[in-house]
Amino acid sequence: MSTDEQAPPGTPQATRGIFDPQLLSACISCGFCLPACPTYRLTLDERSSPRGRITLMRALEEGRLDEDDPTLQEQAAFCLGCRACETVCPAGVRYGQLLEQWRDHQWRGRHVPPLALGLRAGMRITPAFTVGGRLRGAARPTGAPSPLAPDGVRAHLMLGCAERVLYPQVSRAVLQLLPGVVDVPSGQGCCGAMHAHNGGSGAAHAMAEELGRRLPGLILTTAGGCGGHLAQVLGRDRVRELSEFLLEYWGEHPERIPPLRRLSRDGRALRVGLQDSCHLRNGLGVTAQPRELVARVAEYVELPSAGSCCGSAGTYSLLRPEDSQRVLDTHLDEIEAADLDHVVVVNPVCQRQLIGGLRRRRSRVTVLHLAELLALALRERAATDE
Amino acid sequence: MTGAAPRTAPGPLDSGVLDELRAIVGAEHVLTSDGDVEPFSRDATPLFRAKPDAVVLPATTEQVSAVLALATRRGIPVTPRGAGSNLAAATVPEHGGIVLVLTRMNAVLEVSGAELLAVVQAGATTAALADAAAAQGLLYAPDPGSRTVSTVAGNVAMCAGGLRGLKYGVTRNYVLGLEAVLPTGEVLRTGGRLWKDVAGYDLTRLLTGSEGTLAVITEVTVALLPLPATAGTGVAYFDHLADAGRAVARIIADGALPATLEFLDRRCINAVEDFAHLGLDRDAGALLLFGDDGAPDVVAASLERMAGACTRLGARGVTLARDVAESDALLAARRCSLPALARLAPITMLEDVTVPRPKLAEMVDEIDRIAARHDVVCATFGHAGDGNLHPTIVFDPADGDVRRRAEAAFDEVFRTAMRLGGTITGEHGVGAAKRPWLAARLGEDQLALLRRIKTAFDPAGILNPGKLGS
Repeated sequence: MSTDEQAPPGTPQATRGIFDPQLLSACISCGFCLPACPTYRLTLDERSSPRGRITLMRALEEGRLDEDDPTLQEQAAFCLGCRACETVCPAGVRYGQLLEQWRDHQWRGRHVPPLALGLRAGMRITPAFTVGGRLRGAARPTGAPSPLAPDGVRAHLMLGCAERVLYPQVSRAVLQLLPGVVDVPSGQGCCGAMHAHNGGSGAAHAMAEELGRRLPGLILTTAGGCGGHLAQVLGRDRVRELSEFLLEYWGEHPERIPPLRRLSRDGRALRVGLQDSCHLRNGLGVTAQPRELVARVAEYVELPSAGSCCGSAGTYSLLRPEDSQRVLDTHLDEIEAADLDHVVVVNPVCQRQLIGGLRRRRSRVTVLHLAELLALALRERAATDE
Repeated sequence: MTGAAPRTAPGPLDSGVLDELRAIVGAEHVLTSDGDVEPFSRDATPLFRAKPDAVVLPATTEQVSAVLALATRRGIPVTPRGAGSNLAAATVPEHGGIVLVLTRMNAVLEVSGAELLAVVQAGATTAALADAAAAQGLLYAPDPGSRTVSTVAGNVAMCAGGLRGLKYGVTRNYVLGLEAVLPTGEVLRTGGRLWKDVAGYDLTRLLTGSEGTLAVITEVTVALLPLPATAGTGVAYFDHLADAGRAVARIIADGALPATLEFLDRRCINAVEDFAHLGLDRDAGALLLFGDDGAPDVVAASLERMAGACTRLGARGVTLARDVAESDALLAARRCSLPALARLAPITMLEDVTVPRPKLAEMVDEIDRIAARHDVVCATFGHAGDGNLHPTIVFDPADGDVRRRAEAAFDEVFRTAMRLGGTITGEHGVGAAKRPWLAARLGEDQLALLRRIKTAFDPAGILNPGKLGS
């Protein structure tokens, strides 16, 4: 037992240099983050709350606990990294960065979850993820950095690793929505977001900088997770997520807004919900834009937990499938109760998570990326009801 | 004191005790490893930490009773804990032993519009209770700043306050009945669903604010009110805080009992403006936020009357908000106070003195003088309607002997508040944090009575030892 007299927290003492001291000292332990945290809501247990985890980080930093402690191991992995706590924190704690520093230290050597190690290695093999045949015609044939041309090209479209393998139709849809406005260099590599969230923030930083050199100027992304990481490394002004870019660009160039029809089926407007991307919402602060765009082409339905993590959380659904499923179940219940036609996502790992979950429940609700929904409204402009 | 003295020497509980605890609540709800108990070694109070030997998370009143009976039998300290959002170190287990966490018992059991009451388990959050009441058009009036996280039983144990104290009172004014477990294991039901009930000593009131030293509250019955139809807010700036104090006196003397009367001093205004860029008047000596709720015409008349009082007493500027969005914008200044101050330095010491309403301006002036004398950064905001001030000192512990200076400054603040007829804590509680000043506030006779009451409830002295009544 330590008492106030012996070792008051916040008193200067020997520290291990694992965390940025300014970031770690910012927490005032008020506990306002507890109800915002999906893992605390599941367990109602201080250990799995942001404040509890910061108390654990402080014990690690001050040497009261070491990295072999099973609670530290468990809580570093149990956290979704959704950063919902940051939006309610009165003291402005940058929890996402603290988590990265924690996992950098915690997940070294034999402590790295084997799957995370494999994913980190796999994503670094850039050639394995260069644009494949499925996106033929979209990417330019050269891998050289391409300055933004003055002829109307405003941004470089980034091809996220997961998306270009799993959902290449998303990038194609973007090109349909923004003809001549975005350029798609090939040989992009990986932004490193997944590494940052899995204990490899050093490599993650270098990868984002390298991508920033390959895609100079404004980078357009369809993945909230990649966008959050890129903005942290390259600066917010270098990064635009699709929904904010569309509204900005169409606001400046109303003549370039394509005719978008309202989507309907059997004479009634399609009912469409949204699942926010945590790092888009909590990291980049983008919430209204995707909702506004959905509402332009369909009847928008706000799901009660739209702003809360769906449990995909980057690689979390692979590393902690059972916890991921517990977090997802609430969302699936709400989607099924809302009588939706589609759920829109703005991040490919959320897309994968919801597609898998709804398929297991044999739901008739289909999952679309925002770009796909808007492209559907483009294609249908001359057609009758689908 | 009769019975066994609490264990004061720390150390692991013997394996027989742990086996019994596991048999009572299930093995997964007894935590003993260093990492598992670390998060329960502190609450929201800066500079206090003490590690428990075990953390126990019961799911039923029967389990709470069995744990307490065992603890009394074996002389093991037990510190009850809700969400750990209190600011008095009341849930820091200074004597080790068991931290008893009630967050798993979080059901809202009943909201009755016909009886104007609600029944909740100990660990339901204040916001969950308020939301359940609002869904039926009813108001749970106490609104402590931590309402989204704090538990109802925690509010009752600490007698939490909030922003509506002047018009609506505080937690104690809404507790009708309790289910509570004595340290010796007996389950009591005090009060009940009755608005009138004078049978016996008022144990409900005694347990309210007892800070987990007399019994463990497991269920709470609270009174509700009809939800006010609407609410409105206004803001006034004054050159000097004393002018704002006179305006508050005038508003109340005019017969108004406003729902909101909050103030920020000049340092606080500037900290908020630096942080949130709300366009506040940086040169003002005080910002007074006033508001009322009720029927629309009543609210409009009340706001006009309060605005008029402020203007007559020399306000530099007065603004009224007539809708919710405008009100929210004005209330942002008050809501931003703690965030703005917390960002100034790593340690934020938020204090809680209360003085008689006419002494408010004098107290704030004294606080400024004391802070200057001890060379600490202190800003003050608070509830002008009920004289409750939150002087807040921020510092970086790496900065020499600043912690000692901050503590010396607060010592003077507390003594000054008492000299002006006030108290050392209005709504945060005594806990471990205010213990050094309790004797000065209560006197020896009252302290002795507290100890006798404590012994009557807790003969073995196991419940939150070292705090109130010890």
